[in-house]
Amino acid sequence: MAIDFHAILPELVLAGTALLVLVVDLFVERAKVVASWLSIAGTVVAGVALASLVGGGTRSTFGGSFVVDNYALLFKGLFLGSLLLVLLMSQRYINAGTAYQGEFYFLVLSSFVGMLLMPSSRDLLMLFLSLEIVSATGFIAAGFRKSDARGNEGALKFLLIGVLSTAVMLFGMSLVYGFTGSLQLGIIAERLAQLGDEPAAVMAVFLVITGFAFKVSAAPFHFWAPDTYEGSPVPVAAYLSVASKAAGFAGLLQVTFVAFPSYARYWAPAFAVLAAITMLLGNVIALAQTNIVRLLAYSSVAQAGYMLVPFAAGSSADPAVREEAFQAVLVYLLIYAFTNLGAFAVVTLVSQRQPSNLITDYAGLARRSPALGMAMTAFLFSLAGIPPAAGWYAKFVIFKSAINGDTLTLQLLVVFMAVMTVVALFYYAGVARSLWLGTPPEGAPELAAPRVSPALGTAIALSAAGVLVLGVLPNLLVQYAPVSTLVAGP
Amino acid sequence: MTSSEQAELIVFIILAPLAVVTALGMVLTRNAVYSALLLVVNFFCLAGFYVLLEAQFVAAVQVIVYAGAIMVLFLFVLMLLGIGNEVVVKEQMRGQRPAAVLLALGLLVAIVGALAAGVFDAEPASLAAANEGGNVEAIGRILFTRYTFAFETAGILLVVAAVGALVLGKRQP
Repeated sequence: MAIDFHAILPELVLAGTALLVLVVDLFVERAKVVASWLSIAGTVVAGVALASLVGGGTRSTFGGSFVVDNYALLFKGLFLGSLLLVLLMSQRYINAGTAYQGEFYFLVLSSFVGMLLMPSSRDLLMLFLSLEIVSATGFIAAGFRKSDARGNEGALKFLLIGVLSTAVMLFGMSLVYGFTGSLQLGIIAERLAQLGDEPAAVMAVFLVITGFAFKVSAAPFHFWAPDTYEGSPVPVAAYLSVASKAAGFAGLLQVTFVAFPSYARYWAPAFAVLAAITMLLGNVIALAQTNIVRLLAYSSVAQAGYMLVPFAAGSSADPAVREEAFQAVLVYLLIYAFTNLGAFAVVTLVSQRQPSNLITDYAGLARRSPALGMAMTAFLFSLAGIPPAAGWYAKFVIFKSAINGDTLTLQLLVVFMAVMTVVALFYYAGVARSLWLGTPPEGAPELAAPRVSPALGTAIALSAAGVLVLGVLPNLLVQYAPVSTLVAGP
Repeated sequence: MTSSEQAELIVFIILAPLAVVTALGMVLTRNAVYSALLLVVNFFCLAGFYVLLEAQFVAAVQVIVYAGAIMVLFLFVLMLLGIGNEVVVKEQMRGQRPAAVLLALGLLVAIVGALAAGVFDAEPASLAAANEGGNVEAIGRILFTRYTFAFETAGILLVVAAVGALVLGKRQP
């Protein structure tokens, strides 16, 4: 069997870089920053490898269990972009805090290898393995602040809940395999359609979906997220809230729309309920937060709720509606990724001077550093969905897909989401207001431009630029329309 | 009954009671090291069952991984924690025992029902074809052709776990 090495080139480059970093770090005594630069270089090379795959049509290798199509390319591009931002953010933060820099970069790179594999995986085995790589690295990275009790608690919670969700998902997958006799998503879809309404198979499908719901921190499976984000190093919280969530959604899109479309009339209403609970809990609890990382954590739970809304349109008989729902999730994820990474980059910067991460630390930030204040405002507006920041377009496509779904459930969901967006405005705008109008706390340190590390400054500038450009020119995303070739009939 | 079936039956009659006795002994004995050693014997009995079922690969893995690696790890932990001081475990959850008995009975009913309904009577459709040329060869062939990529990916996962254990376990310098 011939192996298409070109198709797996980005993953190979990234995995090779991870191992190289681990080895090089052993022999470098002082200049530990070399690990960071090596990782960045590896990411760029992987990006070039990825770019060489664009426009080459669909490639499939390893008996169809690994497929590179536009859907996979889009996600891989998103992940490599996130990786670059996370590496830039980590540079000074991690150098100051730990002796295990080489290991840190190894873990981050390995985690992203798992993420790159995820959207290409077209069988349950590869989906499971790539999700496990993402989770296992997450557990370790979340516990990286070993001397911090909250870090330990957060990592332990993450581990226990992660292991539980894996067990649930694996049980579901084994049942699905038992019913269909195949691990490949396409064949599973055919066999489930032949099988018809088998209650145990429906249960298996729900078990798999529940496992993924933990990973994307949908309520009521979200409670690990705030503690874990708070206890992790800030760059780790950033990648957990963005990239590992995106990986969870990549997997969820594949299992629901590709493998289980014939059971959509069961899972679509369940997603409607899940989305409503997630939006409600995330937004309402976020109102009461005083810590910026916890605020962003609950906000990320709420954002996951918005992204679950289009899944409720998955049972529509009209293929155009299903395609639109599928794309809405993709567009939202892309925009959310840049926005949230940017917000976390600002938090990383501020927490280097004021490690308490309280929202009150941000009072008057814009007066101390207007550029930083503007960037943070742009990120907050984007999360809230206010033009010209990109978030408005993300919300718009979700609303549009749900309205076109044209069922009572979806219409109610749209109304509920609109109410929740207004609730969210309170806490996002509250922080934004205090950025500009608040008085800086006593003895607040300077945050002037020359003292910001170039890497971190680049990360913030890149994500701010991304948020504003996509907000003004959302059409840039629409050309990825062919991703919907994945969506099969119910 | 052919002679090979007779041989299988004899081996099963020897191994099955041994497996039950060692499993019970493992739960009931007070000394943790005895428990661990009884578990090793139990694992060997299971390996014997796998051989009877013509799953030689799983039998070998059972001995190497479970009876070998994992039990050594168990014994290490027991030795490090110190043996002799018996731990008195207090049951935290009320009604655990009746619930366990009920669930076990439910499982028994389900298994007997499945047997009576003839769920296991049918020969697995593609097993003979898949095992052609021997069980171990068949697994090797599929592992290094169709599932090469998954196999290598699992390698990354294991390296991550090893590095993670090192990072989290090592004392802060």
